[in-house]
Amino acid sequence: MNDKSTWEFGTRQVVYGAIGAALYGVLSLATNYFPLPAAGNVTFRPAVAVLIFFGAAYGPWVGLLAGFIGNTLGDAAMGWGFYWNWSLGNGLMGLVAGLVMPLIKDFKARGDILKAIGYGVAGVAVGMLFASVTEKFIGGLDWNTALVGYFTPAFIGNTVVVAILLPVLMIAFAAVASRRGR
Amino acid sequence: MLVTWKYRIRDTFIQRLDPRTRLIYMLCIIFAITLPDIWDYRIILPLFLISLTLYFLARIEWKDVKRAWLFIGVFVFFIVGLNGVLSGRGGPDSVTNIPSPVLFILPLKIPFTEIGWDIPLTIAKLWFSMVQITRMLTMAILAFPIPYTMDPNIYGTAFKRMGSSDKISFTMDLAFRFLPTLARDFSITMDAQRARGYEMDKLRGGIAARLRRLAPLIIPVVMQSTVTGEEVIDAMDLRAFGTTPRTWLKELHYQPRDYMMLAFGVSILIGCCVLKWGLGIGEFFVPDFFTILFVK
Repeated sequence: MNDKSTWEFGTRQVVYGAIGAALYGVLSLATNYFPLPAAGNVTFRPAVAVLIFFGAAYGPWVGLLAGFIGNTLGDAAMGWGFYWNWSLGNGLMGLVAGLVMPLIKDFKARGDILKAIGYGVAGVAVGMLFASVTEKFIGGLDWNTALVGYFTPAFIGNTVVVAILLPVLMIAFAAVASRRGR
Repeated sequence: MLVTWKYRIRDTFIQRLDPRTRLIYMLCIIFAITLPDIWDYRIILPLFLISLTLYFLARIEWKDVKRAWLFIGVFVFFIVGLNGVLSGRGGPDSVTNIPSPVLFILPLKIPFTEIGWDIPLTIAKLWFSMVQITRMLTMAILAFPIPYTMDPNIYGTAFKRMGSSDKISFTMDLAFRFLPTLARDFSITMDAQRARGYEMDKLRGGIAARLRRLAPLIIPVVMQSTVTGEEVIDAMDLRAFGTTPRTWLKELHYQPRDYMMLAFGVSILIGCCVLKWGLGIGEFFVPDFFTILFVK
């Protein structure tokens, strides 16, 4: 399931990058319909946990592709256009989270789950910071709006989602992986 | 839940353009405005009118886009516009540094106390806000019609022909193919969980509890897709994917109109850079006619 070659880019990465992207797109759309609490423009996007999971399970390339293409797909399906900086920010989120892949030995071990959450939160920070800061130059926002109005709510919302849903996904994946034997 | 693409075939100038032309043109305009940091309405307004013309040439029906426009409208007018009027920040320093007549002072204070701020609304801030909204819309309305007017099956080919590797382009292509399948799987899972008494419309509890209760929907779809992935990998490996360069079923060919459009986009990019860096035109300023409207 995990060959530990962090930067390898072969058939596995192409397929899981595509599946991760499609899942991220579908779940971003689907979870829009569920009543999750939001304050101001703080929103919770449960699909982010799936993106971080794909990064952790299949590596940084898969995380990058799933985030970039998945966000593009989600925006396209919603009819919102193409915002390259937010797509790239989502890609970076998956890429940084994917750096944990070689460190994970057992997907249901507490230590490995905590490592994945740590890298996931770092990924959220890097990705959302990139998207928010580039929005300053593209959208002409000031630093205050970019950091307080964009970055902070996105970071908090996504961190909560990762901390809650990523362990569940990893434990379920451990069971599937052991059944499949690969 | 069904995933339906917003795309429909329309016999329009925009859809006759090569998808690469549209993406490259859009990037040219984004870079033309942001790289030299243009804030001069004499440059931004014509660019906005060109973008608006291209938007109307796409002939997208209002019923298809009204929800998306509402989202953009709220964002651009209330968040960006209001922020510009109140703070004057987000653009060049000259917005707040140049002397400008004060229209009125807005007291933002806790009622019945003196705690808060008195915010001066100046003519410069008001003009800046209008320029900022126009500048943002100039770029947004180029991106906006893409999902409605670009065939989802051609994204992979477009990226390949723009220089992406086979693997990256194939990932893009495969993702578009997987999307409806995974959406169907999600619908089936949702129905199955409903049959077991799962109340998805009545998620109760705090944030953590609500998120955790989404697990019965998300886990089966994600885990099934990881299993499907292994089967797809086997099938692709058996066909020696990645060993030699691929051929692509869909071909893209630039037409004269594409060259014209590309030349136009590149000219705008070069023109904006020359105006700003060569001639010093493009900085923010408040035109006299706007000041006269308020100060007699």
